[in-house]
Amino acid sequence: MSNKLLEVKNLKKTFGGLKAVDIENLSFNKNELTSVIGPNGAGKTTFFDLVSRFQQQDIGEIYFKDKKITKSQPYKVSRLGLIRTFQLTKVFDRMTVLENLMFSGSSIKNDSFFQSIISTSSSKKYEKGLKDKAFEIMKDLNIEKMSESYARELSGGQKKLLELGRSLMKNPELLMLDEPLAGVNPKLAEDLLEKIKNLSDQGITILMVEHNIEAVMKISERVVVLAEGQVIAEGSPQDVRNNNKVIEAYLGTADE
Amino acid sequence: MKISSKWITTILLTFLSIALVFVLNPDGQLRILANLLTFAGIYALAAIGLNVHFGLTGLLNFGHASFMGVGAYVTLLLIPHAAGREGEINENGLPFLAALAIGIVAAALFGLLLGLPAMRLRGDYLAIVTIAAAEIFRLLIRDLESITGGVYGIINFSDALQKYRPVFFDEAVARLDLAPAQIWVGLLSWLTVFIVLLLLKRLSASPWGRALRAVREDEDAVRALGKNAVWLKLQSFMLGAGIAGIAGVFLAFNYGSVQTTIFVPLLTFYVWAIMILGGVGSLTGPIFGSIIFWAIISETDKIASLIFENADGQQLAGVRFMLVGLLIMMLMIFRPSGLLGKKEELLLNVK
Amino acid sequence: MIDQLGNGLLLGIIISVASVALSLLYSVTRIVNFAHGEIIALGAILTLFFSNPVDSRVIYLDRFSPLGMDFFISAALAVILCGVFGGLLELCLFRPLRKAEVGNIAILVVTIGLSIFIRHLYLIFATGRVQNFPLELERRVTYLFFDMTPRNFRVLIAGLVVMVLIGLFLTFTRIGKAMRAVRDSGELASISGINSDNIILFTWISSSMLAGLAGIFQAIINDVRYNMGFLILLLIFAGTVLGGIGTSFGAMVGGLLIGIFVQVSVAFPFMEGHTEAKNAVALAIMIVILLFRPQGIFGQKERIS
Repeated sequence: MSNKLLEVKNLKKTFGGLKAVDIENLSFNKNELTSVIGPNGAGKTTFFDLVSRFQQQDIGEIYFKDKKITKSQPYKVSRLGLIRTFQLTKVFDRMTVLENLMFSGSSIKNDSFFQSIISTSSSKKYEKGLKDKAFEIMKDLNIEKMSESYARELSGGQKKLLELGRSLMKNPELLMLDEPLAGVNPKLAEDLLEKIKNLSDQGITILMVEHNIEAVMKISERVVVLAEGQVIAEGSPQDVRNNNKVIEAYLGTADE
Repeated sequence: MKISSKWITTILLTFLSIALVFVLNPDGQLRILANLLTFAGIYALAAIGLNVHFGLTGLLNFGHASFMGVGAYVTLLLIPHAAGREGEINENGLPFLAALAIGIVAAALFGLLLGLPAMRLRGDYLAIVTIAAAEIFRLLIRDLESITGGVYGIINFSDALQKYRPVFFDEAVARLDLAPAQIWVGLLSWLTVFIVLLLLKRLSASPWGRALRAVREDEDAVRALGKNAVWLKLQSFMLGAGIAGIAGVFLAFNYGSVQTTIFVPLLTFYVWAIMILGGVGSLTGPIFGSIIFWAIISETDKIASLIFENADGQQLAGVRFMLVGLLIMMLMIFRPSGLLGKKEELLLNVK
Repeated sequence: MIDQLGNGLLLGIIISVASVALSLLYSVTRIVNFAHGEIIALGAILTLFFSNPVDSRVIYLDRFSPLGMDFFISAALAVILCGVFGGLLELCLFRPLRKAEVGNIAILVVTIGLSIFIRHLYLIFATGRVQNFPLELERRVTYLFFDMTPRNFRVLIAGLVVMVLIGLFLTFTRIGKAMRAVRDSGELASISGINSDNIILFTWISSSMLAGLAGIFQAIINDVRYNMGFLILLLIFAGTVLGGIGTSFGAMVGGLLIGIFVQVSVAFPFMEGHTEAKNAVALAIMIVILLFRPQGIFGQKERIS
C-alpha cells in the first residue's frame, strides 16, 4: 500500500464554459497536514466536492486508500474514512448538540429500523457508549455546556466546533476541513488551530481549505495553491510564501 | 406530560367544536357524534402516516390517498367480496387479519415504488411524483374493471370484519340506539391509532428516528457522515404508506363499499389539513386536528347554505373545500406548528 | 395516428406555453407554483364571463350575468387581468413570505392550499358545469397532414408565435437577460445592479399572462371547467420534467412532446377502450424520466439535494 491516502489524476470540471477545476496530478500523503489555499473562485471547494463526491467531475480519476472512488456515492466514501466539513456549516438545527454527535457516531446497524423497535440490552449499551464518546469530544472542544441546546442556537464558532466534533465521532482517516476558521473569533480560532494540530499529531491526515494565511503557515506541513482551478504551486509553507506565481495570483492581474 | 398552554388551547378547541356540532344539531346527537368520531379516528390514522413522511422526515407526499387506496383495494380483494357491475361474487378469501397484513405490505411496497425515482432528487420532485402516481392509481382502478370493479366498485365485504363483534358489544351499542357496525369500525380505528402511536413514540426517540430527523435537517450532511440518506427516506416512506394503508381499509369498512370516487386528491388534502392543524411532527396532534377538523367541516354545509341561497350540492361542497384550502394556507403562513407542534421545530426556516 | 398528431400538436402547444410560464417562474423564484393551474383557468373563466351573451342562461352566483363583449377584447382583457392577479399574488402573498424567509417547502404547501381555495372559488362562481365560449361551430379543414378547424389552426399558429416571441424576448431584451441572470444566480444579479424584487414581480405578471393565454387556448379547443387547470397541471409538470427544469427551451420542447405523446398514445392498441387514461401515459413517462435522467432533455445535472 502506497503512502498516498488521496490521489487525483487528470481531474477536470467546468461550469458553463468556466474551468472550475483542472488538476493533472495531485496527491496527499498519510499523516500530513496539508492546506489548500488560493484566491476566491480558485476551485478549492469544488475540489473538495469532487473528492468527497458531492459533485461529478467531467473527466478524471480519484483514488482514496488506493481504491478508485471516481464514481462512488458520497456516503460510501465517507464510510471508507473520508470525512469532510462544509464551508457553510451544516449542523442539524432542530436537534440538540448531543443528538448531532450521537447520530454521527451511530453505526448503520444501530440506526436500523428493526433494531430500534426491539431495543436490546446490547443496543442500550451501544447508545451509552456513543453518549460517553460524545461527551468526551464535547469536553475536548469545550462545548459540553451546550449539550442539550438545539444546534440552531449555537454561535457561528460553536457550530464549526460541532461540525468538527461530528467528524471526530466517525474516527476519520482523512479529515477534510472546509474553512474551519471562517467567522470564528480570534481566541477561538487559536484554540481551534491548536486542536487541529493535535489531531494531526494523533495520526489523522488533514486537508484544510483556509483563507487565514497566518494560520495556514503556522501549522501546515505542506501547502497547495490553486488558482483558476489549477495547481500553481505546492510545497512547504516557506516555499510557497516566496513563490512569485502565488503572490501574483493573490494580488491579482487586471487582464482577465 | 406537563399541562402547557397549547394543550389547554387544544382541548378547549376540541370541546368547543364538538359543542358546535351539538348546538347545530338538536336531534340525534349521539349518532352524529359517533359518526364524527369514527371518521376522525380513521383520518387521524391517515394523518399519523403522513406525519411520518412530512413531520419526521420532511418528505412532501401529495398522493397519500393512493396509499390508503392500495391498502384498501388489496385487502378487500383478498377477502370475500362482490365486485363490478354484475356484482360478481367471490366467496373465497383469506381471514381479515391476513388480508390486512398483505394490504399493509402492498401499500408499503407502493411507497417503495414511488420513492425510488424521487428520493435521490429534491423534495419538489417527490411532490410531483406522488400527485402523478395518485392520478395513475385512480385511472388504473377505474379502468381495470374486471379486477377492481371499476366505477361500480367492490361491495359485500363488511362481514369479514364485522363477524368479530362480540355479543356484549352489540348489546351495549344497541342500548344507545347506535349502529354497531360503524361503532365497531370506529373502535378498531382508535385502537389502531393508539397502538401505532405507541410504536411511533418508541421509534422517534430511537436511533432510527434520530437518523430520519437528521435527514429532514440536512441530507448532504447526513451523506457526509456516511449514512445512506436515500434508503432512510425510503424506509420512512414505506412506514407512513403502510399506516395509511390501514386507514384506507378502515375507511372502506366504514363506507361498506369502495369505488373510484373515494381515494382521490381531495382525500389527500383533507389529511394534509388535519396534519398541519394538529401540528406537524406532533405525535398526538393528528388526533385533535382530526376531531376539530371533522366537527367544523361537517357543519360547513349548514353555514354555506345560510350564505348562498340557491347553491346546489356541488357548490356547497365547494365552500367546504375552499375552507380546507384556506385552512392549509393560513396555518402554513401564520401557525405552522398547528395546535401541538413544537415551536422549536417550526418549519418556517427550513429551506 | 396522423389525426392524433394534429390534436397532439394543439395540446402540445398549449402545454408548452403553460410550461414555459411555470418554468420561468420557477427559475426566477424557485417556487413550484401549484396554483399555476388556477391562473390558467382564470384566463378561460374571465373570458367566458366577459364574452358570454348577456341573456345567456348561465348565471354566476345568482347575481352577475355575463357582459356580452366581443370575444377578442374579452380574451385580451382576461389576459391582462391574469397578469394583474399574478402581480397581486406576488405583492400581497409571496413577497411578504419571501421577506419573512419562509422556507420553500412551506411556500409550496401554501401554493397547494391556494390552488384548492381558488379552484373551489371558481366552482362556486362558475358552477361545475362544462361551458363553452360563445363561438360558432366550425368544420374541420385539412392542413398539410391533419384535419382541424380553422380556429384551432389559428390557435396553433398563435401558440407558435408566442413561443418564438418568448425566446426572442429572453435572449435579446434587457429584462429578459436580467431574468436569466436572476435565474442563474440571484445574489450575483443584485450585485450587478439588477433589482431582483422588480424582476420577480415582472416574472409573476408575465408568467400569469402566459398562463391565462394558455387557458384561453385550451378553452377554445375544448371547454371551460372549474378544474381545467388542475387537470392540465400534471401534464405541464410532465412537460417541464421531460424538457428539463430550469430551461425555457426545454419547457417548450417538453410540453410539445408531451402533448403529442398523450394524443398519439390513443392510437395504440393497448389503449383500446381506455382513452381517458391517456394522461396516465404522460405521467408514466415523467416518472420514468425522473428515474433515469432527472435533468430532462436539456436541463443541467443538478446537485443531488
